[in-house]
Parts: sequence; C-alpha cells; structure tokens
Amino acid sequence: MSRILCVAEKPAIAKAVAQHLSGGSFQTVPIRGSPYVKNYLFDFNFGNPWGTCSVTMTSVIGHLTALDFESNYRGWTSCPPGALFEAPVQESVAHDKKAVARNIAEQAARSKALFIWTDCDREGEHIGTEVRKEARRGNARILVKRAKFSNTERAHVLQAARALIELDELQANAVAARIELDLRIGAAFTRLQTLQLQNLSPILAEQPISYGSCQFPTLGFVVDRYLRVKNFKREKFWGIKVMYTRDDIKVNFLWRRVHLFDRAAVTIMLERCLAAKKAKVVKVNQKPTSKWRPLPLTTVDLQMMGSRYLRMDSQKIMKIAEGLYTKGFISYPRTETDQFDKAIDLKKLVEKQFPDNNWGQYARDLINGKFRTPRSGRHNDRAHPPIHPVCWVAPSSLPTADDRKVYEFVVRRFLACCSEDAKGQSTEIEIQYGDEFFHANGLIVLERNYLDVYVYDKWESSQQLPKFEPGEMFEPTEAKIFDGKTSPPNYLTEPELIGLMDANGIGTDATMAEHIAKIKDRQYVATRNRGSGRSSVQELIPTQLGIALVEGYDNVVTGLPDSPSLSKPFLRKEMELRMREICAGTKTRQQVVFESLDMYREVFIHTQRRINMLKDACRKYLIEGAMS
Amino acid sequence: MSTSQTQIAAQLQSTKSLSVSRSWLDTFIASSSASLQRNVPISALTQTALFRVLSSDFRDTLTTTDPSSVLPVDIFDPTVKERRLSGPIPVQVLDIEDIGSSLWSQVEAIERVERGEAIRGREIVRTVNVGEDSEDWTSNNNNNNAGSGSNGPHRLILQDAAGTRTVGIELRRIGDISIGKLPIGAKMILRNATVARGMVLLTPDCATVLGGKIESMDRAWKEGRKARLLARIDEMAREERQMSGSRGGDAMDE
Repeated sequence: MSRILCVAEKPAIAKAVAQHLSGGSFQTVPIRGSPYVKNYLFDFNFGNPWGTCSVTMTSVIGHLTALDFESNYRGWTSCPPGALFEAPVQESVAHDKKAVARNIAEQAARSKALFIWTDCDREGEHIGTEVRKEARRGNARILVKRAKFSNTERAHVLQAARALIELDELQANAVAARIELDLRIGAAFTRLQTLQLQNLSPILAEQPISYGSCQFPTLGFVVDRYLRVKNFKREKFWGIKVMYTRDDIKVNFLWRRVHLFDRAAVTIMLERCLAAKKAKVVKVNQKPTSKWRPLPLTTVDLQMMGSRYLRMDSQKIMKIAEGLYTKGFISYPRTETDQFDKAIDLKKLVEKQFPDNNWGQYARDLINGKFRTPRSGRHNDRAHPPIHPVCWVAPSSLPTADDRKVYEFVVRRFLACCSEDAKGQSTEIEIQYGDEFFHANGLIVLERNYLDVYVYDKWESSQQLPKFEPGEMFEPTEAKIFDGKTSPPNYLTEPELIGLMDANGIGTDATMAEHIAKIKDRQYVATRNRGSGRSSVQELIPTQLGIALVEGYDNVVTGLPDSPSLSKPFLRKEMELRMREICAGTKTRQQVVFESLDMYREVFIHTQRRINMLKDACRKYLIEGAMS
Repeated sequence: MSTSQTQIAAQLQSTKSLSVSRSWLDTFIASSSASLQRNVPISALTQTALFRVLSSDFRDTLTTTDPSSVLPVDIFDPTVKERRLSGPIPVQVLDIEDIGSSLWSQVEAIERVERGEAIRGREIVRTVNVGEDSEDWTSNNNNNNAGSGSNGPHRLILQDAAGTRTVGIELRRIGDISIGKLPIGAKMILRNATVARGMVLLTPDCATVLGGKIESMDRAWKEGRKARLLARIDEMAREERQMSGSRGGDAMDE
C-alpha cells in the first residue's frame, strides 16, 4: 500500500478532512515540538491511479516561512532606509514553525505523494508551495497534487480527494511578489518615518510609526471623511412645498428641483405657481415594481452587511465565519464570487434547512414551488462559490450568540437568494404648476416574498394616494416656501470603509478587515459610538497622529504632478492590479516586483527630500495641537 | 458706407440680430483691406466679423440707438411683477452661478480637481451606499466625483450693449448654459423674454446662446472662482451671526 502525506492549512481542517476520509476511525499521533498540530493516520481509497493508500493527514499553521532581510540589514540603523528597496532578502522557516516543517519533511521521506489541502485561494496556493518545499527536503522525488474544495462537508471532501489537481503556481507567485513588496516598502517607510519623527515628541518615541501600503490609504479614507465633516460649511436652502387634500387624504407634492440656494429665485418661482392658480396633472404612472432579492453573498458583503446588521466589527465576523467553515457549517468565507455555478444543487442545500424552527417552514415553501434560481452578480474568482450554508446546525451546537447570529445571517441570505423578488405597485403623479413640476409617489407592497426570510431589508407601503386623472386641473390646497440647511456627512463607519476600500481597489476582500484592525491597533484611528441603543453605530475618527501622517504625506507630493500621495489609494490599487496580472499569466513575479518598487521608490525619494513637510505636520497636530 | 460694410452689417443683423456700430465696422474693414483686395468672398469676411464681435465687449461693438435692442434701464425694479421684452436684445454673460448646488459642494469639487482627482485613473470613490445592492454603487458615486460641469439651474449676470446689467434665472434647462461650458463674455440673444421682479426668466424659447467669450474676463473669473465662493460662504456665516445677534437669542453661547 502506498503512503500518502496530506497537509491542510490549519489543524481543524486536517481533523475534519481526516474524519470524512477515514469514516471516523483514525489514529491520532502528536508531533514533537508542536502542541497544536497532530498527525492523523488512516487508510483511504483515492481512486485511480492511487488506489487504497495509507494516509498521514497533518497540517501547518498558516504560512510556514517568512521573508526577511539578511541579518546585516535588520538593525534599525544598519543601513539607510532607502537601501531596503534593494537589500538582499531570504526566506526561512519561521522559528515557531520549525517543528511543523520537520514533521512534513519526515513524513514526506516515507511517502510516495504529497496531497495539499490548504484553502483554495491565493494565500493557500502559496502555503502549498511552502509545504512542497519542505516535503522535497525529505523526499526530492515526491509527487505533488492538490485537493480543490470550498467547504468541509463530507460528500464535497470525498469528491475533492478523488479529483486531485495541480497547484496554481501563478497565484503562489502573486503572493510571493506581494510578500516581498510589503516587506521592502513597509520596512523602508517605517524606518524612515520612525527615525525622522521620533525625536520630535516623546509621544512619537513610544513605538515605531509603522507604514503599510494598504494601511495608509485605509487611514486616508478615515482622515478624508473626518476633514470633510470638520471643514463643512452649512448653507441655507429654499424650496416649494405643494399640498392638496383629496378624499380626506393630504397629498404632499415634492418639487422636482428639490431645493435651490437662491431665495429670490425660489420666491419668483412660487409667485408664478400661485399666479397660475391651477395645477395640471401631467403624468399618472402606475406600474408594477419590485425590490430585488439580494445577490449571492461575497466576503465584502458579509463584512459590510454583517457589521451593519449584526453589530460586530468585520474582523470578528470573519473570525466567526472562519470557525463556521472549519466546522463544516458554511462554505469557504473568503470569496469574491457572487454567482452560483449551475452545477451546485441549490435545492438540496435548501432542504437541509427544513429542521429549523425559524426558517424551516420557509425553506419547505421554497421547495414546494417558490424556489427561484438566484440572480447572478458580475464577479467570479473561479475558486469558490458564494458563501452559503453547507448543512443545518441546531442553535445548541453553536457555542456563542455571535456564532448563531453569523450563521443565521448566512442562511437567511442564502434562502433570500433562492426566493422571488418582493413585488409591489408604485404610483407616480406628476403635476405642472406655473412653470414648475412637482410629484407625489406611492408604493403598495403586494408580495413580500424574500423579505419574509431576509429580515434585514425594509420595504414598506407608503400612504395610499387618491385617484388622479391625466390632464385634470385642480387648485392646490397649499403652496409655500420651506427652508432648511445643508448638513455635513457623517464620520466614516466600518461597513462604509470596507465599501470604499472595495470600490477603490485596495486590499483583497480577505485582508480588508485586517487592515482596519491594524490602523486601530497603531492608534492612527479610534472608534466611538454615534447614537445609542439599537440604532447606535460605531464611527471611525482619526487620532492627531493619523491626521498628521496623512497631511504630511499629502504635503510631500503637493505640486508634483505625477506623484500621488501615499494616503491615496492609487499606488496600492496599481500594485493589486499587477498581482492579478501575475495570476492571469500576463506578467512575471520579477516584472511586477521591479515595477512596483520603482513606483514606491519615487515617492520615497520625494519623502526623504521633503521630510520637513512630514515633521511640520506632526509638530502642528501633536505638539502645537496638544498645547492649545 | 461701402457696399461690403453694408452687406456685413445687414448679414449680422438679419442672421444674428446684432447691429454693429459704424465705427467698429470701419475699423474692421480697414484691418481687412488685404482680404478685400484678394477678393475674399463677403460671406467669409462676415464670418470673421462675427467671430470678432463674439469675442469683443458688446459695449464697444454694438449700437444702442434702437431702444428695443437694449434692456430697460429700470429692469431691476422688484415691484414690477411681470413684463415682457420683445427684443431681440443682444447681451453678454458677466457671471454664472449654479444655484442648484451649495457653494461648499462647489468648493469641494474645485478642490478635487486641484488635487488631480479629475484625471482618469485618479478618481476617488468617496461614498458608498451600504445596504444597497452593490451594482448600484457606481451610478451613485458619479455625482460626487464630477469635477466639472453643473446641473443648475443657473443664475447669470447679463449686460447689454449700453452697459445695463440684469440677473437671468435659467427657468428651464438650456443646454449651453453650464459652468465650464459657458464662458464669461459669451453672447446671447433675448427674444420675448419675461422679466419677473427684476429677473429675466431664461428658457430655450427666449434665450439663444451665440457663443464667444471675452478671454481676459473669463480667465480672471476662473482664477477667482474659488476665492469668491469662499468669500460668500464667510459672508453668509457673518450675516447668520448678525441675525441671531440682533434677535438677542443664543448668540452669547457661541
């Protein structure tokens, strides 16, 4: 019998896969030097050409290796920070991963083949290549395959084990490029700004002032919004309000122009309405309308909707979702795909929810005729399906209230996707009064459909409108000027920030939550609550240091036409587009590393030359600002 | 008057309702003598004349002898509820404002352009609708990133050949009127326009944009626009303070 070594990304996945492949009977062997990682031994038939094999299933714990500068470049003052753009780097097994690496090499020495079970995304492919490297240390001739899976449900895992594929070298290369760029750019700027700023104030000497090419634009959004709120000027506006009572219903007509910022103009417009005496109904538009059911769930949406409806920050939601995935309850939660593959048996997934006390009946109704094929979004990462429940889980099997909330959200969202849109009837009445146009809108919700299960969306009937005939004339009961004032935008919330990062192309869906957590950790951003009780939301407010860094870097590039600030998303966005080019095979890892380093090196040189701009901004906010 | 002068004047009058002054025509013909000798057709010469008139200051180029071709001098009178100007009256634009947008939002738009965010690939999405379908984002974001152009309605300051000024309100959308599209010194013809409380109500039926601009004024207007917007915001804030001060209310608390 051949020996096969299987390696997963995390111990929990290794155990779950071992459980399914072995049918529940396997032998657990602890490994020397690592309390978390175990080897699971069992027999399994992988089908042709492998047949029944003797399997050792084990895991790593995330990345095995780390990239760092060679030792003579590691000291903070060992070289000018700019030298780090070219300084030699080396990849080595991280100190705390030595035991895990040794285990893989030892197991590989006795195995014919290595099957990689890391998560099927870019990072997973790269971890796969790290595992392969260690395995080849023990057995240079070992065969290497990869299992492709997106959840740990039994049938899916068994199928993946019998349809092995190759590692995706391109994706692994994209990650390798990203790791090298993050190291060089991060270290160069972190050292430069820390060394230059630490003498300005004791506050700045407390900890390194870290730079990250994703953190900074993330911080940039928070500061940009903060300044927009702070600098906002309120202005008065005026508008015209028309009311007409018919059948005891007060119908308010809204001005097409909404409001204007010139009182005299509004006054003459109203005067001309009044002079016309009668208004004429120019349009009565009654039509069926619908509120669309949501799209299949992506990671970005889970984080945004989750932090909005479930009152948890995105990092926590992701952590819980990871846990639910590891236990086999939901599919892989890191996905950009918002379309279901035709091959997935969605009805079968719906049926699994029958036992639930809350939405079981709804699921049955779907199967009994109300099921609809989900809408398809425009994104497909070709690796994972949208996030969906894999099986039904009794609430008692979920340890915390937060676990239950996230699981419930994933299920309700999935059932909503498979439902009919909500249907209604909308009415729009448009009138011309003098030279001006006004309209009144009504909505009657006729069928709630998906809204019954997707409790997070609101869509309600408005006041009923009386009957109007096109062409009829009437004299409005009241027409008058109203006034108001413009109001500033709100401070940024976490779901909005995720939306902005996504819309501006920074951070992959999977890393956004980490970047947000990081700028909080670094004390560039603080959170505070707006409102109270159920309607309260957490707002992100930059600290003085956060504002100083953004303003400083913006000033560094002021007047330089082709040098976008580090606080803006462009440089990072370009870098991420290049990662995609590596994945698509249109650029090599080396090309991308060179090109991206060139972009950042230019900003680095400007920053060095104009370092006083950065210092001035820090003085302004941290020293003078603190005194006043 | 020479034949060519008469012909050009008649052409400009009949096709564009512009009655150019005798002295300007003389100067124009004198400067075009080379063309005249080369037998350039009169239609081409008329085109040149039109182009120059549209780039000129109407006060220097048009006659004011016909009272129906200039604004009434008491046009500003707010006690007159409505009157009609049969015209045609040639006017030039001295100022344009978007009264459909707040001053501050216009300042923010100018600053976005200053920061280079109007350049392709350098746009920043600043607002997203959380809770709406993600495919709606792009459409919702465009309005806050528009670097130039304005939707109006617009408030114009217009001036006739005699130097009389009036306010024009764009009562119905006129395609050529927009900030960035309608330069200062651009020329318009008013025909059968309604004046209400001292303001000319501009509609596509009564206002025809001829084009043109006065380069020096337009440049100065553009350069000073942000400062003027900011000055007006300050002024409004001051008035507001005075108002609440004179009411003796909560002004002390500020």
